[in-house]
Amino acid sequence: MDLFFDRVGKRFDQRDALIDLSFSMASGEMAFLTGHSGAGKSTLLRLLLLLDRASSGEVSVNGRPLSKIRESGIAAYRRDFGVVFQDHKLLFDRSVFHNVALPLEIAGFTKRDIDRRVRAALDKVGLLDRERASPEMLSGGEQQRVGIARAVVARPKILIADEPTGNLDPQLSAEIMGLFAAFNSVGVTVIVASHDLALISRMSQRILTLKAGRLITLNNDLRGDH
Amino acid sequence: MAGPSPAGVGSGPRPRVLAWAHHHREAAAKSVEKLFREPISNMLTVFVIAIALALPTFGLSLANAVNQEINRLDAPPQLSVLTEASLTLDDAKRLAEKIERQPGVASVKIIDRDTALTEFIEATGLDALSSRLDDNPLPHTLWLYPASNIRSAGLAQLSQDLKALPGIAEVILDSQWLERLEAFIALGRSIALALGVAMALGVVLTLGNTLRLGIESRREEIVVIKLIGGGNAFARRPFLYTGALMGALGGLISGLLIFITLEVLNAPISQLFELYDRSATVSVFGFQDFILLVGVSSVLGWISACYSVQLHLARIQPR
Repeated sequence: MDLFFDRVGKRFDQRDALIDLSFSMASGEMAFLTGHSGAGKSTLLRLLLLLDRASSGEVSVNGRPLSKIRESGIAAYRRDFGVVFQDHKLLFDRSVFHNVALPLEIAGFTKRDIDRRVRAALDKVGLLDRERASPEMLSGGEQQRVGIARAVVARPKILIADEPTGNLDPQLSAEIMGLFAAFNSVGVTVIVASHDLALISRMSQRILTLKAGRLITLNNDLRGDH
Repeated sequence: MAGPSPAGVGSGPRPRVLAWAHHHREAAAKSVEKLFREPISNMLTVFVIAIALALPTFGLSLANAVNQEINRLDAPPQLSVLTEASLTLDDAKRLAEKIERQPGVASVKIIDRDTALTEFIEATGLDALSSRLDDNPLPHTLWLYPASNIRSAGLAQLSQDLKALPGIAEVILDSQWLERLEAFIALGRSIALALGVAMALGVVLTLGNTLRLGIESRREEIVVIKLIGGGNAFARRPFLYTGALMGALGGLISGLLIFITLEVLNAPISQLFELYDRSATVSVFGFQDFILLVGVSSVLGWISACYSVQLHLARIQPR
């Protein structure tokens, strides 16, 4: 799925979080979103997930303007996304398996399909042997990988990750970025918000840099310019 | 995400209708599981519901049962007309013929004073009394059977008219005690109904509050569900089932309480009916009433869940 930001602005009270933001991503593309905290990374992702609406301009996903999606259509819209949260957002009252299975349950998969897909996703992130564990028992890196398994298990068309390597050591961070690149290589559009410039500059992917709500780099030409 | 999945494991999501049915099954199963996760506080709520429903249901059932029994009495209303003591039997017969021609009167039967005294003595066994009486103190009596289409207001009017006739000392409306009883039962039924409405409201509010606590304690889960594409309906469903389930359990226990109460009261009730020469064949609270009670309480539970979820669930949005 492609996406298109057309002169998007977002204003909270007196402060502009995003100003006149325009860019597009082709289906199957991967991009890093970077900038200091408060630069507007999270706001951009929130607009994309319809957690907020743009104050001006238009965001379109797969050719569909988001302003046309009503409240009642948001849930169905979000099912096209896989989201990895900085704080994982795992549910501690159920096992790793059932955390990963949640998007499939929402989408109405059969139990047999759920079993297979959850195991496949856990296998991809290297946690197949922990499916019965409670997320509480896992390390931070393992929890993040459970979150990634949950994000990809329903085969989303767009994968969004907000600071997925926030508290991880460099080696783990590199592994997780490698996972995202692997999903991208099978055709999933991937957007990763991160301020780990050292890491993302090694990834030879497009980098979108935000500064005070404006996009200051657009192209691969400026990759590594920090 | 509808439609065929990319090549790989599985065959993709179910068709919408099947997915919907599956979600309902899952939600129902989960609500049972949740109920037993906090058995004590949930059972307390169930008992509150049970007691709140048992009171008015018991009252209504009892009123209905007594009412049914009264209807089975099937006694036509009747007027007893006592003549003045000085009236002779012939005068009484003429009076009877006159009354029989009145509109609204079906038939009149004369009980002459001697027969009346004999019957009275036979019925009471007061033989000694007759020897002491120099004279028969009873007047002639006319039993008046009104036409079946006459209403109680017409009956009262008729008794007024009769009282005005010469030679009549007293008119006794024999059905009055029955009417008073019926009015009393109607009042009882109204009170039980009003109590029922109040209790139903109480059930909705109590259960609504319990469910609100449940929603609050699952805030995190609801946020995650909404973030990853679960709609309000998906988040709401388990709570609706929990509400209906707790309502149904409340109704079930309420029914059991009523059965137990009736079992305890069985002896005095039978005795009461025997005093009226009736066998207590009327069922106060039958199996159908029981099913109805459980049904109504499930619906009440469902309604309170809808109300609670409407109030609280929509407010929980991912931040």
